[in-house]
Amino acid sequence: MKRSLIILFLASSNIFSILEIEIIKGSDSLSKVAFVPFGIEENVNENYGEQISNLIEKNMLLFGEFENLDKAEMLSFPDSEEDFYYRDWKIMGVDYSVIGRVNSVNALGNLNISYSLFNINRRIKILEGEIVGKENNIEGIAKIISNRIYEKITGLKGIFDTKLAYIVNLDTETYQMCISDIDGKNEQILFTSAAPIMSPDWSPDRKKIAYVSFENGLAEIFIQDLASGERESIQTLGMTNSAPVWSPDGKSLALVVSFSGNPDIFSYSINNKRLVRLTNHYGIDTEPSWSPDSKKIIFTSDRSGSPQLYEINTQSKRKKRLTRDGNYNARGRYFPDGKSIFFVHGNEGNFQIATKKLSSRFIETLTSTSLDESPTISPNGNIIIYATKEGSKGYLGGITLDGKSRFSLPVKNGSVREPAWSP
Amino acid sequence: MNKILTSFNTFAFILLFLSFVFSVFSITTLKVDETQSIKVNFYELIESVEQPKRLSEARPKETIQQADLNKIEKNSEVKKSLDFKKYKLNKPDIKRELSKIKLSKEREVILKISAIIQDKISSVWIKPNSLSKVLAAKVLINLAPSGEVINFEMVEPSNDKFFDESVLIAINKISFFEEILGLDRKLFESNFRNFKLVFKSSGEIE
Amino acid sequence: MEPIGIFILAMVCQFYSCAQNVSDSVERMQYASVAGEEYLDGEKIQTNLDDKVYFDFDKSSLDADDKNLLEQYLPAIRKAKIVRLEGHCDERGTREYNLALGERRALEVRDFLIIKGVSGKKIRVVSFGEERPIKNASNEKAWAENRRVEISLY
Repeated sequence: MKRSLIILFLASSNIFSILEIEIIKGSDSLSKVAFVPFGIEENVNENYGEQISNLIEKNMLLFGEFENLDKAEMLSFPDSEEDFYYRDWKIMGVDYSVIGRVNSVNALGNLNISYSLFNINRRIKILEGEIVGKENNIEGIAKIISNRIYEKITGLKGIFDTKLAYIVNLDTETYQMCISDIDGKNEQILFTSAAPIMSPDWSPDRKKIAYVSFENGLAEIFIQDLASGERESIQTLGMTNSAPVWSPDGKSLALVVSFSGNPDIFSYSINNKRLVRLTNHYGIDTEPSWSPDSKKIIFTSDRSGSPQLYEINTQSKRKKRLTRDGNYNARGRYFPDGKSIFFVHGNEGNFQIATKKLSSRFIETLTSTSLDESPTISPNGNIIIYATKEGSKGYLGGITLDGKSRFSLPVKNGSVREPAWSP
Repeated sequence: MNKILTSFNTFAFILLFLSFVFSVFSITTLKVDETQSIKVNFYELIESVEQPKRLSEARPKETIQQADLNKIEKNSEVKKSLDFKKYKLNKPDIKRELSKIKLSKEREVILKISAIIQDKISSVWIKPNSLSKVLAAKVLINLAPSGEVINFEMVEPSNDKFFDESVLIAINKISFFEEILGLDRKLFESNFRNFKLVFKSSGEIE
Repeated sequence: MEPIGIFILAMVCQFYSCAQNVSDSVERMQYASVAGEEYLDGEKIQTNLDDKVYFDFDKSSLDADDKNLLEQYLPAIRKAKIVRLEGHCDERGTREYNLALGERRALEVRDFLIIKGVSGKKIRVVSFGEERPIKNASNEKAWAENRRVEISLY
């Protein structure tokens, strides 16, 4: 971490100039949040108060972005603004407090929950809300409240209701295409095969997943509808089809088709099944991905002799080389704001996740393990999850973009790989 | 006449030199990165004259100076410069360098206090994730001589609401700068009663 | 004189592209039929030769040892109906790129065989990228074994 602290000042003898001190470096510490057990109305099950605040707390702590105050250290348990004293929280070094009440359960099994968020340092209430939801969906209610609190504190969109798709390799004969909630709960196996599965990608409306399956002996793209489970294969006349990625408007897939053994990038329009060629080079062109504004596609090509990242303008078809540092830069993806990219960067035998602003030529590596691949980013652009390996087992790791938190997802049976974060 | 002037100059020089030695020692205890070298020509060479006879003639007066000379006899450079040449005290240069020493002393104190303020604020500033956003926010701080923060005001906000909010939260956490307490009043008034904190985000991952 | 030259050039180009189209569609037919892979149900011809050709990291070129081995295969290949070439990579680098690299390795072997007189129609090319390693460890030895093209005769 850089420690460059610069002090500017004008001649101290000049009484009309004012001393300016620059603050560039922030603290490594995290905001501390107190999740106070919610109060309950008389006819409500007494567990709900604790349950809802525990769920919210678990969500907010998921990626190591916050610190929490232990319930044992709380000086009071207010459930309304009248009983809330900033002093109780300031003393404990708390930055934000979440309180609330489970107000009622009606005959239909609907819970009415109200909640408030307080900024302790500024001594003001910054959020207030009310939610009605099903008793048996208390987890879903907690996700919505967590999202709202997260957004108020960070200014970023909450991601607690998003999902993760990934591939599990149980043994040499069993591959599974899976999805789960972002916290790992509610895992569903979408497809099981004795042959390898690769490259999952979510449609922008979250209703379908495209992936590559070798069930017919070679790389073939399938689109699976999540609700119905129906699978449809993409037929082109090429030898192999792979690396499917949905366009932001959900109407096309960018993919790699290999005619006569030369893989090139194409755009495939799903409705009229039309294939449009985007690259035409004897080298390997693969791993396409759309920019958020649909105007460009980033891809990997070894036309310069080793894998590097390039960008093609979808209208003009003009290509531009994006990376020059190092001899292996591949699997590029855009940040949600379209101004930076993240990718796999090979450096002296180590493969790590790196980022680069499009306006600069400097690469920043994010990870320090050596077999990292398949990075995917949260819809709010704040967290990257990637696949890595420990011994012979694959697992998923993650890092927040402010560099303060690194985490790994719970280990499962089998090797986990190729994570894809839902929109 | 010349002889008297020379001896007087020598005496003045010795006093000056001693006071300079003591003040140099006190500056080096401040731990600040910047070091300054001060070059002074204390003497301006006027002419080269042989004067052994004159020294022996003015014996009574010289005994006083001889005693003083003995004090600094260890400084062979000085002794050498007194032997066979005539020097004039370089007053303008000395004045200039003295005021430079005073200014650099002040500057070192300001730098030291500023570094402490920087560290204090940095340790409580929870900076929001700012990839791709180059931001700067300026806050005017108003202190009492005791170091207490009387008032602060965002005078030049960045255009990012959450960045500005994080800045104000950080300042809220520091109510008191104890290092201001012992500060020379004049330095305090001209530098620290009102000063600005400039919070910056480089837009890079840190 | 010039218009004639251009006309001749155009005719030549037409023939050439026709030829290309023909060979393209032949190749497409080959690859399309792989989807069935019925031949895999048939008898695999055993040879006492090593059935793998190995490669350097991120490379698809054949060295002298590789070519030697392939030459030794030629008699058996001439008797076989189908030659299946399966391209593979080690785990390093990205998966889709490795899928393409595996394919390229298999194609290198195929091109060598064609030069040696084997009919292109007999040859099937498949890539599994890094998805089917032989050795599941993460060291140089395991990686070297995984960078291969497997030859099977049916």
